[in-house]
Amino acid sequence: MHRPNAARPYRLNSPARPLRLITGLASWLLTVAITLLGLAALTFFIGRVLPIDPVLKIVGEKAPQEVYDRVFLELGLDKPVWVQFWDYITKLLRGDFGTSFATSRPVLTDLMNFFPATLELSTIGLLLGVLLGVPMGVASAYWHEKWPDHLIRIVGLIGYSVPVFWLGLVGLFLFYYKLGWVAGPGQLDVFYVGIVDRVTGSILIDSAIAGEWEIFFNAISHMILPALLLGYYSLAYISRMTRSVMLDQLSREYVLAARLKGASEFRVVTGHALRNAAIPLVTVIALSYGGLLEGSVLIETIFSWPGIGNYLYSSLFAADMNAVLGGTLLVGAVFVFLNMLSDVLYRTLDPRAR
Amino acid sequence: MRLFKTLAAVALGAVMTATGAMAATPANTLVIADAIDDIITLDPGEVSEVGGVLASQQIYQPLVSFDPADATKIYGVLAESWTVSEDGKTFTFKMNPAAKFASGNPVTAHDAEYSLRRVILINSRISFILTQFGLTAENVEENIKATDDSTLVIQVDQKYAPSFVLYVLSSFTGGIVDSVLVKQHEGLTAEGTNDYGNAWLKSENSAGSGPYVLTKWDPKVSILLSRNENYWGTAPGVERIFLQHMPESATQRLALEKGDIDIANKLGPDDIGAVSANPDVSIMEGNSSTIYYFGLNVRNEALSNPKVVEAMKYLVDYQGIADSIGRGTVKVHQTMIPDGFLGGNIDYNPYSLDVEKAKALIAEAGVALPIKLETVVWNVPPYTEYAQAVQATMALAGIELDLQVVDGGQWLDRYRSHDLDIWFGLWGPDYPDPHSNAKAFTVNDPVDPEGSKGNLADRFGWNSGPLSDQVLAAVQEQDVEARKAQYDAIQRAHTDSSPFVYMFQDSRKVAMRSNVKGVVLGITFSDDRYGAVTKE
Repeated sequence: MHRPNAARPYRLNSPARPLRLITGLASWLLTVAITLLGLAALTFFIGRVLPIDPVLKIVGEKAPQEVYDRVFLELGLDKPVWVQFWDYITKLLRGDFGTSFATSRPVLTDLMNFFPATLELSTIGLLLGVLLGVPMGVASAYWHEKWPDHLIRIVGLIGYSVPVFWLGLVGLFLFYYKLGWVAGPGQLDVFYVGIVDRVTGSILIDSAIAGEWEIFFNAISHMILPALLLGYYSLAYISRMTRSVMLDQLSREYVLAARLKGASEFRVVTGHALRNAAIPLVTVIALSYGGLLEGSVLIETIFSWPGIGNYLYSSLFAADMNAVLGGTLLVGAVFVFLNMLSDVLYRTLDPRAR
Repeated sequence: MRLFKTLAAVALGAVMTATGAMAATPANTLVIADAIDDIITLDPGEVSEVGGVLASQQIYQPLVSFDPADATKIYGVLAESWTVSEDGKTFTFKMNPAAKFASGNPVTAHDAEYSLRRVILINSRISFILTQFGLTAENVEENIKATDDSTLVIQVDQKYAPSFVLYVLSSFTGGIVDSVLVKQHEGLTAEGTNDYGNAWLKSENSAGSGPYVLTKWDPKVSILLSRNENYWGTAPGVERIFLQHMPESATQRLALEKGDIDIANKLGPDDIGAVSANPDVSIMEGNSSTIYYFGLNVRNEALSNPKVVEAMKYLVDYQGIADSIGRGTVKVHQTMIPDGFLGGNIDYNPYSLDVEKAKALIAEAGVALPIKLETVVWNVPPYTEYAQAVQATMALAGIELDLQVVDGGQWLDRYRSHDLDIWFGLWGPDYPDPHSNAKAFTVNDPVDPEGSKGNLADRFGWNSGPLSDQVLAAVQEQDVEARKAQYDAIQRAHTDSSPFVYMFQDSRKVAMRSNVKGVVLGITFSDDRYGAVTKE
């Protein structure tokens, strides 16, 4: 992880602070630019190396040669690959991600269409993962090698090792089909589709804005199961990481010192150890958020969720390279953003990094 | 993934019992679950993906159509009647005066002229379906012509069987658009030429005369069709059709049994078997024209020996595979024309697993064992399972298949290159005429000896000899019964001598809620007709 200035602490009242802020920001922007450029290059060239013929995907295998040739030229595939890459990058700089041939829409429009659905789902998933995972990890470390620890680790292990695909289907079968507690696949029941105007792209927020509470609750009912599953997967990761960080902290001398001073166990664990553990945990949580965005591919397929995972998946199989590149860049940008966020939080929480 | 699915199916099946009250879809909406993420256009002039054709078939109508239960029955839709000239080259259609578009405009010969011309003028990826009649951008004004509002004249380049031309016009490519409306929305293509309304029709608008109009297409998510209030035929029984992207068979099954969808279009054999016990679900069976086969590249030295080719036809456990892997989704079919088509239904399945006979044939051929052959199959069920089963039985006679399981792109790439020994694949005709298959599997094209344009005979290096001419003669036969008899003879000879090992024809099974009535399953892919659907 990149942490600009982490090694060069400065004082709040340092006279050089504005300058450092500017150089810090500049260096951060440079890092972002290089990261995204690298990502674009990697995706672009992998796309060219893959044995997928985008022309064939567009024209179909039975189309005559002249149609094939026309599309080949339209896509600019006759140009040297470096020229193609340069064209792509210059277009990107103008904010032009190209057009998805599958949807006939600009890739940017597509991303704005599909991304909010994923963001919504994974945010709720992450919230569930953190709210449950951190306390579980703390408890697990506190009662190290005792039964709560074993129990929590088994719960985590299942989350780690059971394929999400299987768990998704079992969840659907049990809670949707048998018990009828939640709604089924898709984002809304059919008769609610298309009623609420699209403002943010998040169905929860949009229906709330429109005051359509029936639709709001229907959306929650559809979302709860996939979000819980995502939450379970992030819980498994977060609780395990919390446990190991907390074990490390609880064995430190300052914990012993606090105990000797007569601090209550609760205060020792939450006030001292967890406070220090929070610093590395922020990074863990931020990265697991990124992991959720990526990892929603299978969940979105099982639950017919119109998100970025589904979009990337079908774009890749359709050799819709503009869409694949755009989607990858978006996911990459999210990771960079999360890194930056964890960085800021890290510095806020850890005085030594200021 | 396959393992997960199997595990899931087992787990689900183990605890499956009948449930009580269920949710239901709105009575005025037909909800269909399907995989629709491959659709890239809904313009009838270029649509060809399964889901796209399915949607556009409800919106647009052709000049003529045929009865899916008996393909020899061709009837007029937007055309009322037609005549064919003595020399078989001029087709004159009289338009149906009752027909009108969703806009309220009458359907005239000028609309048909515009619609068929535009397929060729926009040079779309399916224009080859019409250009095979010698129609080009240069001559289309001359050869597709409305002489007045009610008369359309189509000139083809040579004598063809009238049924051939009519079947082609009945396909999705022959969908007629409202030219008055589309002309108002013509724009420019990237090269600056007229797009004939392609951009307008592609994704957000429709201009048809069918029972439904396009309301909204949300790519990769859903398609909403609404009843055409101006429909000139019998008004459809449901107000809306909602096609929802639901790619997973297991998910579709749960949603169907729960009542959240009315029709599940993509159920695998496991799930079909499971839902058939549910009294709330009915299963409709139909013919699909897809043929599963594998082609032997006779450029390979061992395969150039007809005895070896014949031996390999005895090394497939056709019935065994159909029963154990296909489980009702396929039936054994060893000829090139699917049942349901003109010339199909000849019931000629001469081969079955006979290892001893195969060994004897190979010994006669004098080819040294083991014969090692490079084989490619798509990494998607059921292809992989079929190929593995064949690999196992081939091994019994000393033929070792080096089976490579690859993704779809590589699979097609290897098919295009001519160096592969065996290619496992499938063939779906583009239009419901036997020539679609007969040409592909038999005709040697002197202009295209490597078969890069799609003729499979050349692609697999096979000189079909007199059969090639016989196929070209059959497509010119004016008499339907005589034409049928010709295909019968051609197919038997083809099955005996060709390097194509036909195994199965898809038999479609579509599961739907029991209260859904009036669905007509088509025989070409995605020709299903929902115009008469009602929900009781």
